[in-house]
Amino acid sequence: MNISANLNAPATANVAIRVCDLHKSFGPVEVLKGVSLEAREGEVISILGSSGSGKSTLLRCINMLEVPNSGTIEVAGEAIGLKTQSDGRSRPANQKQVDRIRSELGMVFQSFNLWSHKTVLENVIEAPVHVLKRSRREAIEEAEALLAKVGIADKRNHYPAHLSGGQQQRAAIARALAMRPKAMLFDEPTSALDPELVGEVLRVMRGLAEEGRTMLVVTHEMGFARDVSSRVVFLHKGAIEEEGAPEEVFTRSKSERFRQFINS
Amino acid sequence: MTEPGILDIISFGPDGWGHALAVGAWMTILIALAGFAIGAVIGTFGAWAKISGGPVTRMVAETYTTVLRGLPDLLVIYLFYFGGSAAVTAIGQAFGAEGFVSFPGFLAGALAVGVTSGAQQTEVFRGAFRAVTPGELEAATACGMGRLLKFRRITAPLTLRHALPGLGNVWQVVLKESALVSVTGVVELLRQSQIGAGSTGRPFDFFFIAALVYLAISTVSGLLLQLSERRLSRGVRRG
Amino acid sequence: MDIKFALETFLSLVSALPLTIELAVTSVALGSVLAMLLALSRLSGILVLDLFARAYVFLFRGTPLLVQIFLIYYGLSQFPAVRHSIFWPVLREPYWCAVLALMLNTAAYASEIIRGGLLSVPHGQVEAARACGMGRLMIFRRIVAPQALRQALPGYGNEVISMIKATSLASIITLMEVTGVAARIISETYRVIEVFVVAGAIYLAINFILTRLVAFAEHRLNPQSRPPLAISGALKGEMQ
Repeated sequence: MNISANLNAPATANVAIRVCDLHKSFGPVEVLKGVSLEAREGEVISILGSSGSGKSTLLRCINMLEVPNSGTIEVAGEAIGLKTQSDGRSRPANQKQVDRIRSELGMVFQSFNLWSHKTVLENVIEAPVHVLKRSRREAIEEAEALLAKVGIADKRNHYPAHLSGGQQQRAAIARALAMRPKAMLFDEPTSALDPELVGEVLRVMRGLAEEGRTMLVVTHEMGFARDVSSRVVFLHKGAIEEEGAPEEVFTRSKSERFRQFINS
Repeated sequence: MTEPGILDIISFGPDGWGHALAVGAWMTILIALAGFAIGAVIGTFGAWAKISGGPVTRMVAETYTTVLRGLPDLLVIYLFYFGGSAAVTAIGQAFGAEGFVSFPGFLAGALAVGVTSGAQQTEVFRGAFRAVTPGELEAATACGMGRLLKFRRITAPLTLRHALPGLGNVWQVVLKESALVSVTGVVELLRQSQIGAGSTGRPFDFFFIAALVYLAISTVSGLLLQLSERRLSRGVRRG
Repeated sequence: MDIKFALETFLSLVSALPLTIELAVTSVALGSVLAMLLALSRLSGILVLDLFARAYVFLFRGTPLLVQIFLIYYGLSQFPAVRHSIFWPVLREPYWCAVLALMLNTAAYASEIIRGGLLSVPHGQVEAARACGMGRLMIFRRIVAPQALRQALPGYGNEVISMIKATSLASIITLMEVTGVAARIISETYRVIEVFVVAGAIYLAINFILTRLVAFAEHRLNPQSRPPLAISGALKGEMQ
């Protein structure tokens, strides 16, 4: 069932994330060749592409885990300041601004990256308590609610190593949600999971989409891209080849390469 | 009068050396602890320099670890003891004091042990940091943790867990190195044994007992270390 | 920095270098034989030998070298039986006491290194050799030992470096090796920094040479890590 019709954000909705003409090179290799993208509040954008297309790099530039060589990034209308060093490399102009913006975005990684020395509950309350300075009691209450929402409330006192991949990823999603983020970034959230565990994570992500959260998802899951996203973006060799609503792109795509990609 | 047996020597009565040896053993532990602590501070800075320092900082750290790997511990102790004494004497003379002022043996010993174990601990912390999953560190950055917060809550605890076995080895080395500090005159276990040996004419008995005490301290330390390794690795699935 | 003094110090220290090297080489050589025996005892499967070797390693690694030196040099003289034995002329000498203590000490550490090397040879290779009909001695000589040696070399190199540093303790029982002479010059002249720098430089130079030697030996023992040789011309008998 295609639910993207319900999520089509009206054109008057605020822009949650705006990326303009992003360029990024690793050494001599240019990975992003002038990518521009806009995500309005409530939109779910699936970013597709083969490996090396730059899709993960694009996502990681948004929260400055990679620093772009040129271009602009705006989160909730606030532009992230960049400056160029003497050796030509780019750096954030204001580290405190970057830290704050990161705390307003929630990131979910391919390899979960839960902190192995903390229990699931401790993982979820860590950033709210120490970065957002919320009270511990308030954070624990909210964390327990979130863990219940993603379906692993009974694992709250377990260590990540004792959880399955799917459970770990759901815990990681709860951890990101605990920051009450303005938008969420998913970097291939199911690629490291055994096939039978993928479903439970996609179910949670679907629920978040139905709630109206702004989500940017780098993924290989075509089903999710087709059924849950409001927009699909196809990256090829650092540039956007195809972009549009799923029903457009999957049936009437203009790009030959994209058609090859989805049929492979 | 009958010759005192070996058990009489270690008795805690008025004729026994038990009390003196116990105090000596305690002094040994103190020197080792002080030296290890100083080494831990140096080691943390050294590892940080090697991991994320600029080219100059890194070179300084490399030189430090290479040089101290090749120097005998005894030589370093002499440096701090005689060097410290010379410095303190010079300062004293500048203020009009006469004669020779000796640098406290405990301080010289702790500093020497600290500097030599610092080189080893640099390598331990550096190796331990490399064993930490980079993704966990990245997740901390992605939450918006500042550098100091990230170090305190995530980087340091995770690194420490991997560093424990190596630190345990360094501790055993430091414990044995403390015996060398006896050359500065500090009355730790070995020097106390020497005093006892000289006084009673029974060197074998005293040094044998000293050896047993060192073994005991070493074994207990090893057990405590195993316990803390187990506690800190609560969350880690083995194998 | 007084160049004349530094030069004099250098000459004094270098004249003590032969003693340092002698002590180190002798104890490492003798110690390696004992270490091999201990390693083989641990791996022999005979419980008594295994336990003895374990106890030996535990004792010598768990106590300071200086205590071991004192036990031998000062401690043994406590016993009339020792003083009247044929070994007394040897055991009275600080030199032989130092060699004995150093040798017993290094044997403990080296035996663990050798044992690790022997255990590192994959059992499958031993089985393959046995399947070819090789006898146990030949398997050891041609299959196990060369690979064990290769594996143990870095660790053993470190142990030799440790031994060089350990010889400095001989100065405490009156032997005038490099550290002993340095200590004497310091106590006479109080020029601590200069003497320390010269003595340190000498030890670092020895260390450097040793490290290079070990690296060279590692390179020679590891043909698989060298770049492959170009083969010129057809091999004899190769089918065209």
